[in-house]
Amino acid sequence: MSTAAENSPVLRCEDIEVSYGAFKAVTNVSYQFKPGLLYGLIGPNGAGKTTLMNALSGRAQLSNGRVFLNEEEITGQSPHARTWAGLGRSFQITQIFAEMTVFENLRLAAQAHRFRLQPFWRPVGKFKEIADDAERVLSEIGLEGFGHVNAGSLSHGDQRALEIGLALLSEPKVLLLDEPLAGVGHDVAEKAVELIRKVSQGRTVLLIEHNMDVVMEISDEIIVMLAGEILAAGEAETIKRDPRVRTAYLGEEE
Amino acid sequence: MNAQRLMALVVAIIISVPLMFPDGQSIGLVNAILIWSIFAIGFDLVFGVVGMLSFGHAAFFGVGAYTLSLLTMRMGWDFIPALGAAGVVGGALALVFSYFAIRVSGLFFALLTLALSQLIYIMAGTKLRMLTGGVDGIAGVPRPELFGIDFYNDGNYYFFLLALFVLALLISGLIRISPLGQALKAIKSNEVRAEQIGFNVQRLQRSVFTISGIYAGVSGGLLASLIFYVGPQMLHWTTSGDVVIMVLLGGMGTLFGPILGVAIFEIMREWLSTQTSHWYGILGLIFIISTIAMPKGIAGMIIQLWNRIMPGGKS
Repeated sequence: MSTAAENSPVLRCEDIEVSYGAFKAVTNVSYQFKPGLLYGLIGPNGAGKTTLMNALSGRAQLSNGRVFLNEEEITGQSPHARTWAGLGRSFQITQIFAEMTVFENLRLAAQAHRFRLQPFWRPVGKFKEIADDAERVLSEIGLEGFGHVNAGSLSHGDQRALEIGLALLSEPKVLLLDEPLAGVGHDVAEKAVELIRKVSQGRTVLLIEHNMDVVMEISDEIIVMLAGEILAAGEAETIKRDPRVRTAYLGEEE
Repeated sequence: MNAQRLMALVVAIIISVPLMFPDGQSIGLVNAILIWSIFAIGFDLVFGVVGMLSFGHAAFFGVGAYTLSLLTMRMGWDFIPALGAAGVVGGALALVFSYFAIRVSGLFFALLTLALSQLIYIMAGTKLRMLTGGVDGIAGVPRPELFGIDFYNDGNYYFFLLALFVLALLISGLIRISPLGQALKAIKSNEVRAEQIGFNVQRLQRSVFTISGIYAGVSGGLLASLIFYVGPQMLHWTTSGDVVIMVLLGGMGTLFGPILGVAIFEIMREWLSTQTSHWYGILGLIFIISTIAMPKGIAGMIIQLWNRIMPGGKS
């Protein structure tokens, strides 16, 4: 028997609206994300997927609506406060510390999570716990042996993996992944899908992805957006059969 | 030996000139280099490490100078607590500035800090004239009285300044390699990612801006005591410009680069000002040529040369 806590949504948004002048990029979006599920967020270009992710992670200002994480309202909180509250994310355009090594990248994420006030009285190398955290995630994302490499010189696929690693170090309950497979080759994509499966164990993942085969295969639920609104949501098979989705997104006639 | 150690050696040689030539005229110059270096080391924490270009540091420098002067001359404070207060007031003013300026970035940040510091400069010359002495400033700023040593002798004062310089350098060096310093470098590298992994970017920027203000306040107080005078020129935006030039010339973002920049700047200022009244313009020209020839400053050039001479060696 499941408890009330298990059933209550880990992330919830109510009537979210994001406007840029007269243009409403996201409008009237309400959704409840349950614990431990992987949600695929799909929709044509300009549907508002990334804007929704920005709204949830605090990078876009809401003109209306509210966001809750573990039933605590986080509307209006800054991105770093949401990270502390348990919301991690990756970006469509890779955001890493390119001039630093892979290990330094991960160690930064570890110290951001461990210390609310950053210590200044000892060299960073003396803080063993953050080095251990970084090493652990280094192997978790399959980049053992690359710790000393400059992050900017990693392959695109490895940079995407590193970005997921950076998000993992904040021990997020909810992980937002914005097109983690974009621009990676077929072989690397398989590795990346494995990584997504692995990191989705025990946490809620919201994944924006254009590769339909991947999304349909790994998502527990699919959310389809069109023109800033949620058009349909449900399991993959339901979505595939939904005539509105076929017309609007897959371009097929009803 | 690596490029860092080579730079440390060059700095050590420059600052130990008075030890080698105790009766020479170099003592006054090196004393000024030590004081401006404290200013530049602190300024580089903001400019070189986090990448925020401030044109407002003259305000913290000048306010530190006035604080020390007023507390020692009008309130009868001892030098050391007054110097501490100069740092505190410089830091506090920097904190106030940061609340206004950190909301914007890049050029807007530079312009806002410039405007705020010019506001202080104008106030010092007008509304606060009774306190600051207006354009005349305040003459007769004292030096410390400790252990019966005569610090009015430049040779003795050198050791006092050297101790503070080493302390300022050690603190800055430690901050740079500490978790705080790494977080600051992360902000410069990628602010979006730094915020997303959980760094409170604005608080970190405010913290380092305040630390930098403390450095500026202390160095301003020290300069007032070195030249026995404080005037509104120390608050003027050109003082901010000077420290920007010093750091750029020496190599921003490096521990020793700003000190080399200060040394070159001060030596040029000392020499050129005896040659022509247009020395400031010529200094500007030299600066422009230097930045074109050495975009990463003297430190960058030393590292580059070192790597060429010692290929495969650590820089």
